[in-house]
Amino acid sequence: MIDLDRVSKSYEKGQPAVDEISLHVDKGEFVFVVGESGSGKSTLIRLLLKELEPTKGIITVNGHVLNTMKHKAVSKYRREVGVVFQDFRLLNDRNVYENVAFAQHVIEEPGRIVKRRVPEVLRMVGLAEKYKSKPMQLSGGEQQRVAVARAIVNRPKILLADEPTGNLDPRNSYDIMKLLDEINQQGTTVLVVTHNKDLVDQFHKRVITMRRGIISRDVEEGFYHED
Amino acid sequence: MKIRSLGYCVRQGFKNIWRNRMFSVASITTMTACILLFGMFFSVLMNVNFMIRTLEEEVGVTVLFDEGLEQEKIDEIGEKIRAMEHVTDVTYTSAEEAWENFQQEYFEGNEEYAKSFSENGENPLANSASYTVRVDEIENQNSIVTRIKRLEGVRQVNQSAGATKTLISFNSLFTYVAVAIIALLLVVSIFLIANTVNVGISVRRHEIAIMKLIGATDSFVRAPFIVEGLLLGLIGSLIPLGILFVAYDRILGWLLNRFGVLNTISGSLPSVLEVFHVLAPVGVALGLGIGLIGSIITVRRHLRV
Ligand SMILES: Nc1ncnc2c1ncn2[C@@H]1O[C@H](COP(=O)(O)OP(=O)(O)OP(=O)(O)O)[C@@H](O)[C@H]1O
Ligand SMILES: [Mg+2]
Repeated sequence: MIDLDRVSKSYEKGQPAVDEISLHVDKGEFVFVVGESGSGKSTLIRLLLKELEPTKGIITVNGHVLNTMKHKAVSKYRREVGVVFQDFRLLNDRNVYENVAFAQHVIEEPGRIVKRRVPEVLRMVGLAEKYKSKPMQLSGGEQQRVAVARAIVNRPKILLADEPTGNLDPRNSYDIMKLLDEINQQGTTVLVVTHNKDLVDQFHKRVITMRRGIISRDVEEGFYHED
Repeated sequence: MKIRSLGYCVRQGFKNIWRNRMFSVASITTMTACILLFGMFFSVLMNVNFMIRTLEEEVGVTVLFDEGLEQEKIDEIGEKIRAMEHVTDVTYTSAEEAWENFQQEYFEGNEEYAKSFSENGENPLANSASYTVRVDEIENQNSIVTRIKRLEGVRQVNQSAGATKTLISFNSLFTYVAVAIIALLLVVSIFLIANTVNVGISVRRHEIAIMKLIGATDSFVRAPFIVEGLLLGLIGSLIPLGILFVAYDRILGWLLNRFGVLNTISGSLPSVLEVFHVLAPVGVALGLGIGLIGSIITVRRHLRV
């Protein structure tokens, strides 16, 4: 599903942010990526989104080789990859329903499909009642659930999350992680970057630890470890 | 881009205009000035061209013959003129017809006065048989006149194209000035539209970034801004066309007077409807063109996806 072959990314001269990483993630896996600040986790996510081009190495996702992908094909590719960020990135002038429907309009889904799919996803993330609220009227946990709903509404094959619980209290953090786990159970490959030790230890998933641009550790059913 | 997204793009385009109305108003105003001037220029040109055409039709070259020239020779001259390049029509007026015309023109209703001119019923205009020669274009008239003068038996060649010449020189001077001003305003309009659209893009940076991450195509991201440019262009052309339509007679009268083009032409000038038959589509196309170019410039520069 995700395949990195000796991938490097340098922003400027000097130490690369990602340094010859090789990594394989299978379809349906749930992976935590942990590591100290500046170790290259967000850079990895951005490489997978084809927001950044690798300096070296080959990245293959869903059978697409990102290095050689034509500019025109990138938008279609991104529809296969949902993404959630620490800062939610919602549209504050639009309500919950509109924020989620936005993702479907943007990929030009027909209106009748949007009308069926958006309530379905809002029910799944537990926000069916609050569909009319604006983001600023919601708690952080609720806002992140809207973001998750938006990320999965187009049925991506992969869900990437860059510190999705970074701004949430433990209770909300747990709920969001539980939600990502559920999404994973339904067949979506999930890759979560996090600093949350407790959650990583609670969920018993594969844990990849990064340090200064390299993978220092990769353990199935592992625990949080920062060496 | 799919057809069903058209509604979305148009709605977003309107929203953009409304969200930064200050800039929208500025670009619409400039464009209004530009197209209003263009419309005025266009109307004046159309009228002046109409006058020139009328004059060209009315005024020809009149050829008079040596006294007592035989009809045979006159016919011969007629054939020679007819054979000349650029000559479209040659009409013969005999001395009798000339006198008839003269009487009708100057003594209408008072034929007895006319009688006093002709002693014993003789034709007072005995030597006024003539050819009226029409030339395809006024510019060719001088060379034709020179050639006719060289023909044997020709006493005099009259041409009265003074008014036409003035009009033609007016036409070109007016054109230079107007084209310069319009070109300047055109550039300013494009610049302002580009700027307005650019403000719209910066206001929506956040939204655009999200759209791209979700997988919107380039054309889908760009379309609302192109629509915004086109809408501004449309509004900026409909306003001046409206103004011109309502105030056409007044504006045109003022302009023609101002530039000393006297309305001496017999027959009616083109009506506002005739002018707008051409001006309206051209004006709207110009507005849409300005809007399109302005927005494309910005979208290309600031929406590199
Ligand atoms: N746009 C950029 N330009 C230049 N250097 C960058 C850029 N983004 C990141 N870096 C550098 O690359 C390295 C890795 O950054 P990255 O954001 O991937 O780390 P991270 O693991 O996500 O850290 P954190 O846990 O704090 O989010 C850092 O040294 C950072 O300074
Ligand atoms: Mg990061």
